Amino acid sequence: MTENLYINNTKEVYDAIVIGSGISGGWAAKEFCERGLKTLMIERGRVVEHRKDYIGENKAPWQQPLRTKVDNLLVKEQHQIQQQCYAFTDATKHFFGNDKDLPYTTEKGTNFTWIRANQLGGKSLLWHRQSYRLGEYDFNANKGDGFGNDWPIRSEDIEKWYSHVEKHAGISGSLDNLENLPDGEFLPPFEMNSPEKALQAKFAELYPQRPLIMGRTAHLTKPTKLHLSQGRVKCQARNECHAGCSFGGYFSTQSSTLPAAAATNNLHIAPNSVVHSLIYDEKTNRVKGVRVIDNDDLTEREYFAKVVFVCASTIGSTQILMNSTSKKFPNGIANSSGVLGHYLMDHNYNAGASGDIEGFEDEIDRGRRPTGLMMPNFYYKPDASRNFLRGYALAGSAYREGWQSLQHQDGLGADYKNKLRQAGKWRFGLYAQGEMLPRFENQMRFHPTLKDKWGMPQIEFDCQFSDNETNMMIDAAEQAEKMLKAVGLKNVSSQVMNGPPGLAIHELGTARMGRDPKNSILNAYNQSHDIPNLFVTDGASFCSSAVQNPSLTFMALTVRAVDYCVKEMNAKRI
Amino acid sequence: MKEDPNEEPYIEVNSIEESNMANESRRNFLRGLSLLVGGTVATALVSGNSIAVAMEHSLKPVTVGSDLLSDGKVFPLSQLKQLKDICAIVIPKTDTLGAAEVNTHGFIDNQLFHCYGKAKQTKMKQLLTLINDVAKNNFSLSFTELSQAQQFKVLTELDQGKANFDKKQRADFKALKQLICFGYYTSEVGASQELRYLAVPGGYKGSIPYKESDASWGSQGLYY
Repeated sequence: MTENLYINNTKEVYDAIVIGSGISGGWAAKEFCERGLKTLMIERGRVVEHRKDYIGENKAPWQQPLRTKVDNLLVKEQHQIQQQCYAFTDATKHFFGNDKDLPYTTEKGTNFTWIRANQLGGKSLLWHRQSYRLGEYDFNANKGDGFGNDWPIRSEDIEKWYSHVEKHAGISGSLDNLENLPDGEFLPPFEMNSPEKALQAKFAELYPQRPLIMGRTAHLTKPTKLHLSQGRVKCQARNECHAGCSFGGYFSTQSSTLPAAAATNNLHIAPNSVVHSLIYDEKTNRVKGVRVIDNDDLTEREYFAKVVFVCASTIGSTQILMNSTSKKFPNGIANSSGVLGHYLMDHNYNAGASGDIEGFEDEIDRGRRPTGLMMPNFYYKPDASRNFLRGYALAGSAYREGWQSLQHQDGLGADYKNKLRQAGKWRFGLYAQGEMLPRFENQMRFHPTLKDKWGMPQIEFDCQFSDNETNMMIDAAEQAEKMLKAVGLKNVSSQVMNGPPGLAIHELGTARMGRDPKNSILNAYNQSHDIPNLFVTDGASFCSSAVQNPSLTFMALTVRAVDYCVKEMNAKRI
Repeated sequence: MKEDPNEEPYIEVNSIEESNMANESRRNFLRGLSLLVGGTVATALVSGNSIAVAMEHSLKPVTVGSDLLSDGKVFPLSQLKQLKDICAIVIPKTDTLGAAEVNTHGFIDNQLFHCYGKAKQTKMKQLLTLINDVAKNNFSLSFTELSQAQQFKVLTELDQGKANFDKKQRADFKALKQLICFGYYTSEVGASQELRYLAVPGGYKGSIPYKESDASWGSQGLYY
């Protein structure tokens, strides 16, 4: 590791600057460093060191003053938005942004929840770790129905890069041989419990086109020598991942890509550096570096490099591009097409169904499995008979009720206490994760006057689910309820909810890839159409949301882009 | 580096199984961790990183009102005493300590103050007043002066929304029971003695035998 990994001021012209240290930024840095390029990773927030800074890790509830909950006053002052995230607890709150410093607005009549993780590691510390490849039908979806532009890549362009990241990150899952959910380089899947196995068999019998599989997740079920060499060991099934994992049981920048990058001696990190804008040289049509505002004292500084990778999260990356204006690019750098900020997407979690499973009283599961089951999208083939386009996946787990459910019954005294001591009945549910169409009108833009404390124009969101997403959720609730009843669950109920976009924390689009520079920002290698040494490789580059959790695709797109970029640099085209 | 998942040994960590060890869960966690990650990190672990520091200075559970000599943050002393009796009735001492013995009343007072709004605090205070009023009307005694059998009867009526109580009051009592249960089953006794607490399960097993006399997990459903 370099003696001084963290730097502040430097005159060095790096080979590559990577803006952001989350899932995409960590991968970009690792790949550049391993190819011998001097790399500067720029992170707007503080340093979070593996193990040392996981201050909420492995604390039993009674060791926490508010037993996992967070003080009202702190929530009110700093985390009004962030507390909406399911993972916001006393053990994780320090990994979420301070809303007071991170204001944004929404167009009247719309709502958008923007979850922030501004520290080294970014949301790689907080993600839910579900890891799926996109399939051929996903890459063809926009072309097929005309919503959005055609993805400029297909499965064969990216599959070897999926393999590359899966082997390093460690993805557990089963080989399922499905038409539209490609298998990968998997570690063994987590076990199913007995009711889940029974349900899986029942689904196979009644719905052969709708298999129930074990969720694929970035956890080391059986670490390889490579993982052990990273200082990572087997997942201990604590399912407290968001607090940080000293075992390195799940993939994060800290556990996986950062040690690999640092080991090359080619990495420097500039923490507490809020990127204000990119420095553009009109004469050469190249990005020369970045302007940074210090996170703490608000002073300005600059960093320079031959290429710049923007990996600052979907909204963060586009915010930087939009704020980088020049005579040639008055509406944001690399935005000759005018689509920057548009086609914002998320996933839709607004439907589900659940019920009771009979039997299996003489067994229980043991440990806290950090994943559930998954029923991949069964609507991947277009069908005009449905009243919506695209589809959804369903996810859920079987579990025995504990005191949290049993407490609601009538009763007091020793009898009540004994009832709560015992495990209750088994339950199972299926919850939707639906695709959101790419629409021009769904966008992020700059508020005309408001700025944040670093002088960055504030984001204004104008983004809503459309009738397509609503109809899809109604269908998801109906299908889930119907299927659960068919496979024998009792007391099945379903619901359709009305949550706004954002809270799936799968923000996508706003600087999309495409074949045509007139309607897209990036080419098939995540390279700016307009400026050859500028790349955006995170979720901003997506053309469609597909149904799958997107992080594995961030990784694969990023490493593919680095490989291309370095080849182009060697060929003197960049 | 060449990888062959089939050839590589991987390290199993023995889980911290027995519930009476849960008190030491964090220490065991650190010990297990140092075995896994080797000397360098282990040294770092005991020489002042945040985990070690956090362990040493682990935040003490708030014990407001445990001695019941003064007002709490939400409840006056008289109501804290009443709440303690209610805790003892709802989750009494059996083979393991009950809710009153682990200061669930103090927990509720503290939790209502820090994690709930004025409306809920007021509702809970009014509920205690109501219970006391019913005790006075029916027995001419305050709730804390009733025998345990009388307390049990009053609270059972409230729990079922019968006799002196209506549906809304019943719902408020269910909310109080939820606070009692949360306080008790997240306490060390509740989570790790009454129930079974696995700090570091070591892996996931889909099925192990279970019989009615087995305690459920106190470490389940608390996280994500």
